[in-house]
Amino acid sequence: MLGPVDVLVILLVSIIAGLVGALFGLGGGVLIIPFLTLVEGVPVPLAVGASIVSVVATSSASAATYVQDHLTNLRLGMFLEIGTVAGAITGAFVAVFLPPSALFVLFGLILLYATIVMIRARGIDFPDNVMPDRLSRILALGSQYEDHSLKRVVKYEVTRTPVTVFVGYLAGIVSGLLGVGGGIINVPTMNLVSKIPVKVASATSNFMIGVTAAASASVYLLRGDVHPLLAAPLIIGVAGGALIGTRVLKVTPPTRVKVAFGVLLAVISLLMILKGFSLPVVL
Amino acid sequence: MDLNRLVAYSLRIGVFASALLSMLGLLLWAAGGFNGFAVVSGSAIVSALSSAFMGSDSGIIYLAIGILIATPVFRVAISAVYFVNAGDRKYVLISLAVLSMLIFALVSGYAG
Repeated sequence: MLGPVDVLVILLVSIIAGLVGALFGLGGGVLIIPFLTLVEGVPVPLAVGASIVSVVATSSASAATYVQDHLTNLRLGMFLEIGTVAGAITGAFVAVFLPPSALFVLFGLILLYATIVMIRARGIDFPDNVMPDRLSRILALGSQYEDHSLKRVVKYEVTRTPVTVFVGYLAGIVSGLLGVGGGIINVPTMNLVSKIPVKVASATSNFMIGVTAAASASVYLLRGDVHPLLAAPLIIGVAGGALIGTRVLKVTPPTRVKVAFGVLLAVISLLMILKGFSLPVVL
Repeated sequence: MDLNRLVAYSLRIGVFASALLSMLGLLLWAAGGFNGFAVVSGSAIVSALSSAFMGSDSGIIYLAIGILIATPVFRVAISAVYFVNAGDRKYVLISLAVLSMLIFALVSGYAG
């Protein structure tokens, strides 16, 4: 039974989740799911349902700012969405067949993977001499953006596009299963595999997440897994937090962003894995 | 207007409207003495949405959720129209592919 105190606490936590989500190109679900399940004791399907709705809010709110700043690669985003949306629908339908403990462990493992990839990825922020692949040339995926911390225009090409589309499909499945945006998988892949600068990868992933989450959110909503009293404070908080978060990304250096990101994810992933193995995780 | 601004505005308006309605729903819930909400599914969501216009607190929140989910879908639709005008056939096809998958998600979720 959800009371006014729960609703108020969820509202405050979601403001923080929205901020962090916008900073790291995530939907914020990464923090909301552990909070709802570990702290509030919400059953997994309802936590995922509420989280995926809030992911739509975070993504749309922060994506608007990045898009206006021309940080988002709209063509690349639209193209990769084919994979992420197909995956999200797959994930949302498969979710009902998996036990909650499996979802906890999967959540933890995926976060841990993302943490390792992001920490190792430091230093290849602005790849040079990238040769676009055939698909990338046909679809004119390469672009440029103005880097505010470097105070110059950065041109970039997109390579190994098919790999990133396929990983996008997998990220979509994870999103539909776990109620996260999938940015934790998309951003490192776009940066490491396709050589897209991390700020563009982050902004474009954020942009894609809105549509990806909308696909699985509609499945959860119609299935009856979206509780209005969980969704409402999340929407309000996350939208507010995301609006502030996008202002910060413009001035924070990429390395510090990633290290902060990594430490946070590692802690959360361990807690979720412990919960999956039915160890009494009390917060 | 260029696509960047068009997309940015539509996303902002959608989230803003959804957050305002969520707030209104919660305020009505508080005014009504914090009664428990029924979670509905399938076709009952349509009646929940129509109850929003009679001032139902849960109906208004369902409307907020509906508007929010529709926001990125609408964004894809605008992009499709934009690419049609720009004569960019490859990207018209890409936007339509994404749009049809989103419609599939709604229809299949509704069916069961």
